[in-house]
Amino acid sequence: MLHVLFGVLGILFAVALFVDVLNAHEGNYRRIKKLSSAVAILIVLAFLIGGYWYVVYYGADREIIKAGKWPWAHNYFMEVKEHIFFSLLLLSIYLPIAVHGVMPLNNKKKKNLILGICALIILLGLFMEGAGGIISKGVTMGLGR
Amino acid sequence: MNNSHMGKYAAGFGLSLVVTVLLNAVILVIKEISTPVMSVMKAILGHHWTTHGSLLIVIYIVLGCLFSATGFKDRLDSGKLLKYIIWAVVISVIIIAGFFLPGLNITATIKY
Repeated sequence: MLHVLFGVLGILFAVALFVDVLNAHEGNYRRIKKLSSAVAILIVLAFLIGGYWYVVYYGADREIIKAGKWPWAHNYFMEVKEHIFFSLLLLSIYLPIAVHGVMPLNNKKKKNLILGICALIILLGLFMEGAGGIISKGVTMGLGR
Repeated sequence: MNNSHMGKYAAGFGLSLVVTVLLNAVILVIKEISTPVMSVMKAILGHHWTTHGSLLIVIYIVLGCLFSATGFKDRLDSGKLLKYIIWAVVISVIIIAGFFLPGLNITATIKY
């Protein structure tokens, strides 16, 4: 479940970046650039590890969920999660490109662009975590526990 | 140059992000309603989700390079781009979440 860890860290780094951009000045430009790259790396790692787990091991869990009391944990939440994740992935990859492209952050519109992307990453990331919890509970329900 | 304008890669890949995020939802609907498309996507990389993701990443990079090479950075400012990105994500989420809504049959599992 390393992908969950990387996903949570990605969200936390996006929150840190959001706060840093709100207080952007020449002294923290370097940290803003590093944080944006860290978010991208962490979400890409979550994608690679989570994707591998999903393709190789999720099939057995899916059957348990679908035969259990919470089939919608797969039919809705997993289906939605696995596809909305691509938006999160692309936003995260774009984040460092946007940060480097709008530097210096001396303009409200430039700051808002980075803040908006961070906010979308945080919101979609939190949905991923919540949906992941529901899917895990779907397996537990399917096992009759 | 307007002060809210950005570098050519930020503009090009930003616009590519907008297109790719919307395309994500379109590809999803097409593969889910068309069995032949789903079969082809499964056959290409062994799993429809792997093919879907790889396709989006390739499109994102190709369109990003293409848009960066054109003059979008002069026509696009940060404010406009943020609006496009937010709308693309919102529309994409509504399409994806709405498409699978019939699968959210929670009431059938509740015992009264």
